[in-house]
Amino acid sequence: MKRILIVEDDQFLREFYQELLEAEGYILDTASEGETGLRKIQQNEYDLILLDIMLPKLNGIQILSQLKTQRAKNAKAPIVVLTNLGQDVTIKQCFDLGAAGYLIKSALNPDEVLNEVKSYLQKTT
Amino acid sequence: MLPDLFNQEYFLASNAFLIFLLAIILSLYISFRRKTQDLQERNRKLSALRKLDQVMMSYYTDLEEVAQKITDAFALELGYENITLLVLDEKRRLLKSVAMSNLMAGSKRGKIEIPLSDSQNIAVQTVLEGQVKLTQSSQNVFIPLLEQGKGGNLNQVQRPKTTVVHPIKARNKVIGAMSMTLNKASSLDVHKENMEELLDVIGASLNNAILYQDLKVMGWHLAEANKKMQDLDQMKDDFVSVTSHELKTPMTAIRSYAWMALNKSDVVLSDRLKKYLVRVLISTERLINLVNDLLNISRIESGRIEINPESVDLISLSKDILDEIYYSKSTQKNINFVLLEQKLPKVFADGEKLRQVFLNLAGNAVKFSPEGGKIAIGFFTDGKIVETYIKDEGPGIDQEDLGRLFTKFGRLDSSYEATAATGGSGLGLYISKNLIELMHGRIWAESEGLGKGTIFKFSLPIATEEVLAHPEQFKVRPKGEAKGLEPAAMPL
Repeated sequence: MKRILIVEDDQFLREFYQELLEAEGYILDTASEGETGLRKIQQNEYDLILLDIMLPKLNGIQILSQLKTQRAKNAKAPIVVLTNLGQDVTIKQCFDLGAAGYLIKSALNPDEVLNEVKSYLQKTT
Repeated sequence: MLPDLFNQEYFLASNAFLIFLLAIILSLYISFRRKTQDLQERNRKLSALRKLDQVMMSYYTDLEEVAQKITDAFALELGYENITLLVLDEKRRLLKSVAMSNLMAGSKRGKIEIPLSDSQNIAVQTVLEGQVKLTQSSQNVFIPLLEQGKGGNLNQVQRPKTTVVHPIKARNKVIGAMSMTLNKASSLDVHKENMEELLDVIGASLNNAILYQDLKVMGWHLAEANKKMQDLDQMKDDFVSVTSHELKTPMTAIRSYAWMALNKSDVVLSDRLKKYLVRVLISTERLINLVNDLLNISRIESGRIEINPESVDLISLSKDILDEIYYSKSTQKNINFVLLEQKLPKVFADGEKLRQVFLNLAGNAVKFSPEGGKIAIGFFTDGKIVETYIKDEGPGIDQEDLGRLFTKFGRLDSSYEATAATGGSGLGLYISKNLIELMHGRIWAESEGLGKGTIFKFSLPIATEEVLAHPEQFKVRPKGEAKGLEPAAMPL
């Protein structure tokens, strides 16, 4: 079973993605702010991490840059940014910090989100 | 016999002759002196005039500098002393000193202000009456402003002499006064005669300096107002940036849940409920598009947009766009797309931005096309630019409305209906125009009139070797720090 972590502060969206993916048979873990998100990424093993950028306590960019230096070399889970920020600079910043993908929430229908998740999970196996 | 030299008669006669002679010589001398004095006087006056002319013609535009030059010229060339130039400040209802001659002993060039309400003051009287005033005490000009002790000192330094205060006029309006002290007692007339033309020159040059200073002050105020506007503009941009992000979170939730209700419902939906949910979805998409457009405009207008040009193949881009539009759910009108392929040089543009423009134009064409209508995409090149055109069989546009198309919210009445059904913000063409122009291109619309369809055209520079050798000329860097681009600046 694939394990997915969602770091998302908005309760409705967090629960939405959780239900959407659980319905597909994935095992979901969630974090509603940056600090917990970072700790979970460092302590647990996942197959995919969906990371928001605008987060309380620690934002997504900060998490990415901390992981870049501190994350265990063998950690394989790709981190896909799932956000509503969409400026070129931000996108570039995320990829520079090691993000595997960048998705804009408001531009995607649920089926499109599912397809993206599936394709990223396939890439890792 | 020798004449008796000491003869009384002879003595008297010769004496009388001598006296007569002396008188003639004296009168000649006096007349000569007078002439010389006149000449000297004239000379000095001319010299003073020349100095004043120099002041006027020079680049000195600073009021106090001009005033100082004037007083110095007077002190030096005409022998006046203790010259003070006062300027009328109508707003504050007072006279203020702008210059004192260097020769004014012991003066520290302090600033003097005399309220116009001080009717005892001779300078105030001069200005109010527009008449020359004479006084035997220079105290009259200054005393009301200086403390008792200071006034006393001034009086010691300036032994009481004749002080004349002249009104200074420009265009028949009193703009100030000039107080000057002469060594010898003198009549008003003499001063007046000497002064009139000089005062005219002084008035003109002082007035110029005052006007210039007013302009400068106005310039400061404008610069300040401008700064305030820029700050406000920045605040507006930040506000739009933060707000649009905040809006997108709940809109994403609405979009996601409505989609789920429509597509993954565990109960069978009635047609009516389906229609409602579709409309919720469409409206949400429209809202999201509107917010995106607002954000785009905010970035474009504040110069926080980046253009990274590269060689772009318009034919393959057109195919991508057609694919995207063809398969998108909004296109169920059975549109007949025609791509008029031809051998084309590549253009130099930002691929993403060009894609955005292309999608906007093609989307508009679909939006306004009738059921089963034809949309043609074609090209034209003259070796310098490539023109791309998108032709539809829609309602067409009135000649006089063509220009309005590309303005902000420049929607035409005929488009409102289509907008409601398909979701459009009225900002698309405005954004497209800005993007194309940032890429050194041009965009416009042509229509033969209502009912005859519309052609949208945009031209872009060809990626020639020359262009590729200097790509930086086509690059647009965002203003401001990259970190500040997203809301609440992402700290690292």
